[in-house]
Amino acid sequence: MANLEERGIPTVGVATTEFIQGAEAQAKSLGTDPALVFIPHPVQDRTDDELRKLADEHFDAIVKLLVT
Amino acid sequence: MTVLLDPTSERSPTIRPRLPRPERLDGLTIGILDIAKSRGDVFLDRLDERLRERGLAVKRYKKPTNTRPAPLPLQQQIAGEVNLVIEGLSD
Amino acid sequence: MSSLPQDGLVAVVKRDCPTCELTAPVLGELARRAGLTVYTQDDPSFPDTVPGPVHDLALDVSHQLKIEIVPTLIRLEGGREIGRTYGWDRGEWERLTGVRGLGDGLPEQRPGCGAKNVEPGVLERLKVRFNETGLQSRRVEIGQDEDEQEAMFGRGWSDGLPLVPPTEERVLRMLDGTARDPQEVLGLVPPALAAATVEKIAINAVMAGCKPEYLPAVLAAVEAVLDESFAMHGVLATTMFAGPVVIVNGPIRRRIGMNAKGNALGQGNRANSSIGRALQLVIRNIGEGRPQEVDRATLGNPGKLGYCFAEDEEGSCWEPLSVERGLKPGVSAVTVFAGFGLQGVVDQKSRTPESLARSMAESLKAIHSVKLAPACDALLVVCPEHERTFREAGWSKARLYEELYKLCEIPGEELIAGAKGIAEGGPPALAGKTVNKFRPGGLMIVRAGGGAGMFSGIIGGWSAGGPRGSIPVTREVRP
Repeated sequence: MANLEERGIPTVGVATTEFIQGAEAQAKSLGTDPALVFIPHPVQDRTDDELRKLADEHFDAIVKLLVT
Repeated sequence: MTVLLDPTSERSPTIRPRLPRPERLDGLTIGILDIAKSRGDVFLDRLDERLRERGLAVKRYKKPTNTRPAPLPLQQQIAGEVNLVIEGLSD
Repeated sequence: MSSLPQDGLVAVVKRDCPTCELTAPVLGELARRAGLTVYTQDDPSFPDTVPGPVHDLALDVSHQLKIEIVPTLIRLEGGREIGRTYGWDRGEWERLTGVRGLGDGLPEQRPGCGAKNVEPGVLERLKVRFNETGLQSRRVEIGQDEDEQEAMFGRGWSDGLPLVPPTEERVLRMLDGTARDPQEVLGLVPPALAAATVEKIAINAVMAGCKPEYLPAVLAAVEAVLDESFAMHGVLATTMFAGPVVIVNGPIRRRIGMNAKGNALGQGNRANSSIGRALQLVIRNIGEGRPQEVDRATLGNPGKLGYCFAEDEEGSCWEPLSVERGLKPGVSAVTVFAGFGLQGVVDQKSRTPESLARSMAESLKAIHSVKLAPACDALLVVCPEHERTFREAGWSKARLYEELYKLCEIPGEELIAGAKGIAEGGPPALAGKTVNKFRPGGLMIVRAGGGAGMFSGIIGGWSAGGPRGSIPVTREVRP
């Protein structure tokens, strides 16, 4: 994500809640402030319908981080 | 750890700022980068559909492996083809 | 200072000091007869005359005791220092310790050596470690996985080129280059109107690659551009080309090794390049003046990375620019001018001052737009070979100015919009009038450049030159 922002492309990352602490630590060590949306863990064992529903539920939050 | 003195007027925070965002998405191309963890594609496919429903141009990309950052040619390709990126799904 | 005794004698020494070696037996004596704690700055086994000297290789104790010379002998009572002496002096040592007959066979006195904790660079490191720097600027911690250069680029501090990381030590050393108080405010930098303290300027000077001895010139340049009459906000915000150009006069040029000769306006000289760059970084970082933000320049010019050179005063028949502008000869000064790029004046055939002046005037009349007058101010940089032509004919600077202004009178007809098939230009009312390309006082002349080559230069100014816009400002360089 940092690489694309360095190239001038605003980026939003989507991750599960498992990743929250890791994301904080990574941001701290890189000195960045990434735009992130967290969805509830887990992802691996969800059905297609459940995943699509999660996408719908978080779509607005993702778009919000793509605009001012 | 290196400590530097701030050369600025100190009106903004010390971390690297996010890039400024556009006011609206209209007319822009959005890239969706699949970081290649399993089942992420289903989630991203739905985001793709929703964006296209709004009349936005979408381009899809996938990292060859989720264990390393996107290779340089892929980064350069994305940077040259889109205005914004959604990257996922990390867990 | 947990290892220091509350009461008793303390000595600070280093092996690498003939006087400390000389006093080693005396230290042994004192240890036996009065009790003594010895701190050694280098070799922990020295001196072998006392049991267990404490090694102070990190120099913490030396710093806290403010040691400057070794050996230093200190007497403590109730946790407080009640006396000290340094170097070897039998009388002083006996008086301080109350022990008679010290150092039998030694000379009466021997001066000490410089202590390790005050060696160059060491004192700054210790001040940083003990948080005694007095530096007020916010600290920015670089993430352990951040590359230093990327960290600075990513925070927008750079003009596009790499920066020298402004660590606390480097900034402390930079501040040694001036006697001024680091918290002195020189002015408010536009467009943000944020305070430029000596410390903030020093941070940007470090990043630019300046040496501490350049700092006074940078401070003078910042003072000059912050003078209201320079109109720095306008100079920054314009769509035109200009940026501050810094001309340096006086003894400081040679003291800090500036270039007034070959390629003086080009690359390769650290002082020229970094002083100009430091000024631009101050505008960028303190003032928040950046391209595509408040800086709306259409093209700008390469000098906006930094544009600073020294006038070639020695052997010139003309007074230096600073003297022309009212300062005393022999005083170091900077003049700032809102200027752009460089226009060349090639003239390899003129043998008379009249011909050469005409040649230069034709080029001067073309700056900015051939159809506009008055257009802007201009700085004429006369190369040594051209100056020689004027010198050999006995033309003073005043004479040359007079001639150039005369030659820059333009018939109004040539300037009317549409004349010469060019839509640009002035109103039809110009017909029958004569207009000077320059406002009175709009021309400045300096000498600079290499000894070979009949190529002078014109640095054109900003269209809003003069009292309604920017006028050049000269400031004395203070230590």
